[in-house]
Parts: sequence; structure tokens; C-alpha cells
Amino acid sequence: MDFLELIQSNLLTPIVLFFLFGIITARIKSDLKIPDAISEFLPIYLLAAIGLHGGIEMRNTGFTAMLAPMLVAIALSLLFTLNHYQILRRLGKFNIFDSYALASTYGAVGAVTFSVGISFLDNQGVSSEGYLAAILAVLEPLAFILAIFLTNMAVSKQLEEKKKSFGSMESKIDINSGETRSNLKQVLHESITGKAIVILLGSIVIGYIIGENGFSSISIVFDELFTGAIVIFLIEMGIIAGQRLGDIREVGLFLTSFAIIIPTFNGIIGVLVATILGLSVGGSVMFGLLLASASFIAAPAVLRHTIPQAKPSLYITSALGITFPYNIIVLLPIMFTLSSFIHNSESINLFHHVTNFLT
Amino acid sequence: MKFYPTKLLTITCEILAKKNILDIFTKYSVTGYTSYEVEGRGSRGLRGQGLENEKNIKVEVVISEEKLHDVVEEIARTMFTDFAIMLYVSEIGILRTEKFS
Repeated sequence: MDFLELIQSNLLTPIVLFFLFGIITARIKSDLKIPDAISEFLPIYLLAAIGLHGGIEMRNTGFTAMLAPMLVAIALSLLFTLNHYQILRRLGKFNIFDSYALASTYGAVGAVTFSVGISFLDNQGVSSEGYLAAILAVLEPLAFILAIFLTNMAVSKQLEEKKKSFGSMESKIDINSGETRSNLKQVLHESITGKAIVILLGSIVIGYIIGENGFSSISIVFDELFTGAIVIFLIEMGIIAGQRLGDIREVGLFLTSFAIIIPTFNGIIGVLVATILGLSVGGSVMFGLLLASASFIAAPAVLRHTIPQAKPSLYITSALGITFPYNIIVLLPIMFTLSSFIHNSESINLFHHVTNFLT
Repeated sequence: MKFYPTKLLTITCEILAKKNILDIFTKYSVTGYTSYEVEGRGSRGLRGQGLENEKNIKVEVVISEEKLHDVVEEIARTMFTDFAIMLYVSEIGILRTEKFS
């Protein structure tokens, strides 16, 4: 089959090989480690590069083209977060905090996954729409805000019920609900001014202003070095994922299958919807990847403050240890094959094709 | 030279709990503290490796006995169940009592 070949060739790209190398490094307990300063710097660099490219292309395409994809992405992201919650809470029997934390981790987007996707498409000689970087920036805080809002609602509902049963404790409970409200406001501020969004939006604006001409003087850093930087970062990601492989047993069978099935489902829906919206082959893959990816760098920082009751070992291990490798090794080629297939067959008349196949 | 007895509160916790602790300090008007990154092993395994957000920190604060009880009570009540955290108190001597009111 076509896409098995693609998976095979994808396995032999430097990005995937270095990621696997990182995992092996951790398993043999080597002391190899990317220095802290560099592994903190690289995500900032990757986001800056993504933002600059996005900004430059938005200057060419204008803002109107991105309106529909942006709104659809927002709607899908929120819908998926609610859907994850129902699955985790009802089928997985997770408690309310873990369910919301995991639901938003999988509803949010992964900037590192996005970078790998761009470089995967580069490798295939395909480009994607620049405004996807803007969608990345908007989606980044969205799922968390929804989850935090709903968790606060659920908690204050529980308090309300307690209040009914202990009428005398009213005053104390009022103080508590006041605290949650200010908490939400703080969360909004923190997630919008978070470093990932600030650098991404800043670079989009700067890219928009400088355009192709201004970019040529810095392209050696932000263009040529891009894939190389991802490779270095993925050694670190591989090491961290490798250290967590042992924890997968704790994650359990349900969450392990969730961490594979949900991204696949979300990603395929994303590719189909993006194709209907008229995005290019590469753009549809990136759109699917946005919805398929799980957040593992931003998620702990946000969730530890806002839903501290949720166990970080669950959402970090599943997002980084299972979903991330699955996305970059298996799901990317699947989505690429799907996207090229439906883009090619649109002109051949898909229905004709299907009926031919059936008869 | 005379040393005046007071308390030193030492907290070792995950880096993402730092903000909560500083908020509690502010609430009880504790004006100064010192913190640094550390690593170690405890009930939550080997800590302080890997992702930036998974590191551990140590916070030290010289504090008067009255404030100490409020601060420790609030930390214990709001944070012990959800965070990787431990704390202990030691007797220390200081020279300038007016600095640590």
C-alpha cells in the first residue's frame, strides 16, 4: 500500500530517527542530555520561525481567506474537547478533574507537533497556507479556557449543593466562589500572555510587516536552520519520552487507546473538513494535525495552576509518550495520503469512484 | 555578638507550586524569600529532570513564629494533597530582628 511506504520513508527521516535515538538513549540510561537553556530556547525559536512564515504569507493572501478556517477550527476544537470529556468521564470512569485536564490536553494544539508537520511537508515538497500559524495561536489557549471554565462551574455546583445541606456555612462558601471567579480571570490573562502565544503573535505581526524582502536578511536563521533545530529538540523530546515509557503501565489500557484513537479520529475529520473548506493538500494535513495534536509543553504549566487536582503523570505521559510519537510517525503519513487522495479524486468525481468500487 | 532566635521555613516543591506559595506569602505579608532550583528523589520518584515545568525548587524564608503557623497551615491545607511538596522548620539565630518582622 502507498501509505505504508510513506510511513517507511518517514521513519528514515532525520527527525524521526533522532527522536527514536533519544528514546534509546534514555532506555540505556545514558547521561546524554540537551542543556536546559537550549531545550527552553528551541520551542521559542520554532514558534518564531512558524510565526514569521505565517505573517509573510498572510501579507500575500490577506485576512479574508483565513476567516472561515479559523472559525471552523475554533468550533471543532471546542466540540472535540467536550467530546473527549464525555468519553473519558463516562467510558473511562476518570474523575472530573482528570477528565477535564485530559480533554483539554487533547483539545489543545501542540506547537512542536506543528513544527514537525511543516518540516514533513517540506520533505514531501508540499507547502501549506501561512494563516495556519494564526490558527495555531488562537487554538493554543482555547481548550484550556473551556476546560477550566467548566471545571470551575462543576466545582461551584458541588459547593452549591453542600451549601444547601449546611445552611449555616453560607458565608464561608461565598468567599470560596469569589476566589474561583478571580482565578478564572487570572487564568485568562495568563494563558493569553503566555510565552508561546506572545512569541507566535509577535512574529506573525513582524512577518506581516517585513514581508519577503525584510525576511531575506534573516532567512538563514529562520529558514535554513529550521529542520536542524527540530532535530536537536527531538533528541530532548525522545529522552523525556523514553524516561516516561515505564509510566505507560500506570496510564492504563483505556487511556493508551484513547491517546491513539482520538488523534486519528480528530485528524481525519480535520483533513476532510479542511478539504471541503478549500485548503490545499498540505494545508489540509496541517489543519488535521492541529486538531490531532495534544499539548505537552503548555498543558502542564496551565493545568497545574488551574486544575491542580488532576494527575500530571496522566496527561503528560499520554500526550508526550504515546500521542506525540504516534502523530509524527504514523498519523502524519496517513493524513498526507488521505489528503492527497481526496484532493486528486475531487476532479475525477469521488462518487463515481465509490460506486465503481462497489459494483 | 547576640543572635536573636527565630524560625527558618524551608519548602521543597515542584516548580509549578512556587506561585501558589508566593501568593500565600503575600497574603500573610511575608516580605522576603530565597528560592533556587534543586533535584532529588522522593515519594514521586526522581524529580528535577526533563521538562522545565517538572523541575523542583527550594524556597527558604526567615519568618516570625506567629506568621509561621498561619503560613504552614494554609500551605498544608491547600497544597499537600495535589502537589509534590515537603516542608520543615528549623531554629535559627539572626542579628537584625527588624529585617524579619
